[in-house]
Amino acid sequence: MPNLQAEVLVIGGGATGTGVAWDAALRGFDVVLVDRADLAEGTSGRFHGLLHSGGRYVVKDPVAAAECVAENAILRRVIPDCIEDTGGLFVTTPDDDPAYGDRFLAACQDCELPAEEIEVSEALGREPRLNPGIRRAFTVPDASIDAWKTVWALARGASAHGARVLPYHRVIDLHRDGDAVTGARLRNELTGEELDIEAGFTLNASGAWAAQIARMAGIEGVDVVPGKGIMIAMNHRLVNTVINRCTMPADGDILVPIRTVSVIGTTDIRAADPDELPVTQDEVDQMLDDGERLVPGFREARALRVWAGVRPLFQDARVGEVKDTRDVSRTHAVVDHLARDGVEGLLTMSGGKLTTLRLMAQDIVDAMCAQLETDRPCRTAEVSPPIDENEEPYRLGARLRRREETLQEEQLICECELIGRRKLEEAMRRRGTANLDDIRRTLRLGMGPCQGGFCIYRATGILHGVGDLDGAEAGASLRNFLQERWKGVWPILYGDQLRQARLDDWIFQGLLDVEHLPDGEARPA
Amino acid sequence: MDVLGELMRGSLDHCVKCTICETFCPVSNVTPLFPGPKYVGPQAERFRVGHEPSFDASLDYCSGCGVCTQVCPQGVHIAEINTQARAKLKETNGVPLRDRLLARPTLAGRLGTPVAPLANWSLGNRPLRAAAERVVGLHRKAPMPRFAGRTFQRWARGHTSPPAQRRVVFFHGCGTNYYEPRLGEMTVALLEHNGLAVEVPKQGCCGLPLQSSGLFDDARGYVHRLAARLAPYARAGVDIVATATSCSLMLKREAIEILGMEDDPELRVVSERTFDICEYLLAMHERGELRTDFRALSETVTYHAPCQQQGHGIGKPALDLLALVPELRTIELDATCCGIAGTYGLKREKYDIAMKVGAGLFAQIGDAAPERAVCDSETCRWQIEQATGVRTAHPVEMLHRASGLA
Amino acid sequence: MSHHDVVVIGAGLAGLTAAVRLAEGGARVLVLAKGVGATHLSAGTIDVLGYAPERVENPGEALSRLGDGHPYGLVGTGAVAASLEWLKARVAAGSLAPYAYEGGLEENLLLPTALGVPRPSAVVPETMAGGDLRRRAPVLVVGFRAFKDFHPALLADTLRRTGTPARAAELDLVPEGRADVNSLGFARAFDDPSFRAEVGAQLIGRLRADERVAFPAVLGIADPHGAWSELERRLAHPVFEVPTLPPSVPGMRLFAILREALRRAGGRMILNSVVTGAEREGGRVGALRVRVGLREERRGCDWVVLATGGFASGGLELDSRWTARETALGLPVAGVPAPGEERFRAGYFEEHPIARAGVAVGSDLRPEGHENVLVAGATLAGAEPWREKSGDGISLATGHRAAELVLDGVRQPAAAGS
Repeated sequence: MPNLQAEVLVIGGGATGTGVAWDAALRGFDVVLVDRADLAEGTSGRFHGLLHSGGRYVVKDPVAAAECVAENAILRRVIPDCIEDTGGLFVTTPDDDPAYGDRFLAACQDCELPAEEIEVSEALGREPRLNPGIRRAFTVPDASIDAWKTVWALARGASAHGARVLPYHRVIDLHRDGDAVTGARLRNELTGEELDIEAGFTLNASGAWAAQIARMAGIEGVDVVPGKGIMIAMNHRLVNTVINRCTMPADGDILVPIRTVSVIGTTDIRAADPDELPVTQDEVDQMLDDGERLVPGFREARALRVWAGVRPLFQDARVGEVKDTRDVSRTHAVVDHLARDGVEGLLTMSGGKLTTLRLMAQDIVDAMCAQLETDRPCRTAEVSPPIDENEEPYRLGARLRRREETLQEEQLICECELIGRRKLEEAMRRRGTANLDDIRRTLRLGMGPCQGGFCIYRATGILHGVGDLDGAEAGASLRNFLQERWKGVWPILYGDQLRQARLDDWIFQGLLDVEHLPDGEARPA
Repeated sequence: MDVLGELMRGSLDHCVKCTICETFCPVSNVTPLFPGPKYVGPQAERFRVGHEPSFDASLDYCSGCGVCTQVCPQGVHIAEINTQARAKLKETNGVPLRDRLLARPTLAGRLGTPVAPLANWSLGNRPLRAAAERVVGLHRKAPMPRFAGRTFQRWARGHTSPPAQRRVVFFHGCGTNYYEPRLGEMTVALLEHNGLAVEVPKQGCCGLPLQSSGLFDDARGYVHRLAARLAPYARAGVDIVATATSCSLMLKREAIEILGMEDDPELRVVSERTFDICEYLLAMHERGELRTDFRALSETVTYHAPCQQQGHGIGKPALDLLALVPELRTIELDATCCGIAGTYGLKREKYDIAMKVGAGLFAQIGDAAPERAVCDSETCRWQIEQATGVRTAHPVEMLHRASGLA
Repeated sequence: MSHHDVVVIGAGLAGLTAAVRLAEGGARVLVLAKGVGATHLSAGTIDVLGYAPERVENPGEALSRLGDGHPYGLVGTGAVAASLEWLKARVAAGSLAPYAYEGGLEENLLLPTALGVPRPSAVVPETMAGGDLRRRAPVLVVGFRAFKDFHPALLADTLRRTGTPARAAELDLVPEGRADVNSLGFARAFDDPSFRAEVGAQLIGRLRADERVAFPAVLGIADPHGAWSELERRLAHPVFEVPTLPPSVPGMRLFAILREALRRAGGRMILNSVVTGAEREGGRVGALRVRVGLREERRGCDWVVLATGGFASGGLELDSRWTARETALGLPVAGVPAPGEERFRAGYFEEHPIARAGVAVGSDLRPEGHENVLVAGATLAGAEPWREKSGDGISLATGHRAAELVLDGVRQPAAAGS
């Protein structure tokens, strides 16, 4: 059995885990990061893209709000290429109590959040699609942040400082040696091979799955309340500013312009299992109604895709049953297993949000340093992870400008998201993947209006060549992509998207007849 | 707040990327400089942020012919999205002097008419044209019309129709006014022949060239002034007929959809009463009101429906009208666009593209060797005449002659 | 108000078939369409019935077993056969002659898709017939690096796995000097003899003895017969083309042929024309309403053939509250699950409850309560064309049948309550 050794094992490759790996690697630790699947495939890949100004929490959760205010500014400084400064608006819709706006403003002041009331006419001038019936409007420094760019930037940064980043490596057991956690057993999900890793310290950054991981070390009662929320991406930017409902946090009260889409979110329903996140029709209807409240005509606009994410809300089992997941604080906590359970060498991060990823990483790595009695200061508030020259900064028009430059030289493979052939081939080679879904996550392949109708056959053919797959594997990858895509599409299949689906059915089933591809072994994905 | 503009833009939601528009686009099929209507329209629009500058210069190669919108099976207002995006591009990059000049035919008209012989000579003088190409960007071979040296408006002021049961208003357009006043006279005569009294109010430019050049505010001003002149007649229940199909399309549809002028009450009332002349004559014929005692015309003519005429959504009424003339053989041509697209083909960097676009049409006309190439739009006629050497005619001219009025 | 004997709504295969048959039968026909129809997106073959649910070898036999809940069951095998013969004759005498279709109801060919999957097809262009996989002759699949919509290595791989020896080649020819050439660009290139000569030069000497050569379906748009037959002569091997992603060149050829046939027969077509409603008296539609700009035009008619393409083109619409409607005339839509019920299943390839929704009609293609409206094509209820591989056949058969029914009615004025 092959062995790995590291000073620090980080479990979880989302924003938290990669943030932790980056922080620890910057402090000179030798880090291995593992995730059972692709990076950012958990909660980070499924949120709405909002870099919180904190406005949403000022009244109800001022601790979380203050964290957001500070971290928002820091992230804009250290990872500016992952962030689009859309600005944000809090608006009082006809269904909201106008007096709340005063509480809101006061609470913003208390948290030092720079919010400002503006004329409704100015807000409507900025955002013509907004509900003309809004009664008050406030600006806040919300922004949209690209989770995949962020996660990969942090992972690359960690690698540049010597960390080993291992997606598709599932933790199947943690090693206990008496009262210490000494490492883990991993399974490479692509090859089936098992390997052991010896690690001086293990940081459990697995978010909604934290309890499952802790249990492998024999630790019970780390109760993560999985708070499921659904989000719907609308086909184009109905708004260019983040729109929040100015009211106590409710469902469907955020509309985020991110990349080429606008995302309405979200619900808040306790889920039993973080891997079982069904999207219900009621939730979809509710999101559409909520969207209609913010943007009249929302129901006639085109819904592109729906998905569910799960928030890792920590509720210490010994404190009491949680009733409404909206009441659970959105701040985070380091679970110190030495103090709580008498187990050393393991810390669990619980709670939190993507906006505070850096602070969460700082807190858990600080706690680890304290336990190790070593004094290594955190530098992530000053140092930026290295920029990938091949990636363009996160601006909506960046791909359009880039394509304009290569118009006469390069084939466009994914037309909706403006992905050229060279870029696609590079990504395939770099990832060494046989899975089109992995490419989808990093490049947004097939994430546009046609949902892969035109690009996926092309990408399959290219993958077959570049990835050195055989036809069976290529076909399996194609089928897998279609099934994964379908999951996010069928609950919102009406109107324009139904037309698209029919055309795509025509292409994949009528024209290409994917259904009758001869069976073959797919590479595990 | 430009609600309709948002709705035009919002129609991009209907795009299912089927590529049908690309197969019909006359420009992208002849040059790689233009990535195609689907690309610059519904696709790129998702990447454009209202308040940020534009940088997709390839959009400028869209000729605005509007064929994409016509063939789109999903109802995407592709051409309208493109035109609006081009206006934004011009905002970012500025509008060259040449475009500003070409966009104001009334200006050129007023300057050129009094000195028509000199102006026409200049337009025909090769060294001067070469200089114009270098300095202003007007291609030396661009098919410029010849000034008539008099205006149709002047003739109309001195003309009164015989009394009749019904009136119509004639919206003649700049082309007739400065370059083809004879066409205007023929139109009036034909309408009078069919029992209508024709009013020719003072009127200006419809603003289409300004719109095509991205000068939306100026265009709106022109449209508003024109509509204000015509509205009193429309309110009184008088129909408005036009021989320039592009100009009438502005009033019928484009000023509302592209310039977002749906709230202009005068434009609304004018729009509801504006008809293309062939549309109007055919409707009269369907009501039994058209005089069909035509003389025989033993000729062969070709008919090309200009892109903007197709944008009316009325089919090809000229064909049905020409079919009423005994012995006249009309060959319906099968080509999308002649290439000129208003002022597009006059520009130095677009002339060659325009000639490639029209090549198929020119070849068909050459093969048919007709006595006349019939076409409803004046800019298309000028393009066709220069490219093929065949004399062109508006459908009204044929009917005018067949009515014995020549 | 204009008046026509028949207004056909929709310019896809069903609409154009009906319009041409009607115009050639002497009716004054107007086609109103939002845009160009789905011929540009189809393979260009006439797939009658491929799976029911097992793979079908004899489509004539298989479709005779479909009940009258299915459009084929409504019109009957005879009507399907007649429509196929009609189309073959139309193409053979059409503007691209001698380009021709071959095949019939007795047997399905098995043609490779662009993925290499054998797909059953009944009537196909001559340029594709050579790809019949029921014969095991080996295939050389030829693609172009500049053509991203066709991947010869992948195709060949699947062919091998389904029992046909195959290998692949990629040529470096770049028509028009562009980086990104679509199928139409290649089709124009194949219309050019010097391009064909280039292709031939690059392939001659590389072909094995009994190989047939597969190209993507781009063998000419103006003269496909000329392009294809010349290639066969040059290469001295059988050549066939394989349909791939839209824009479909064979589909565009079919559109051009039917469009020209309509023109020659005196039919008219107006695009960008959305029918927003109808004027009715009892069970008869007297005129259709079409909006242009701010004005609503009225188009009078004696008969209406509704061929609007179903959900794919907005002829049928499902809104965000899960109610469906037929968008031109407001006809009732059958087979749509109620708002609380399941419409789609979790597995993409399963049959979904809403799949067969559409307008229900009698065997005379008329919806209940309508005397002079007939429905054809994908707007009809009862079929699942992309799984059955039956879309073209249904459009062709019902469009043709609708025309014949109207022509019978036109010759004798419609009897009330027939």
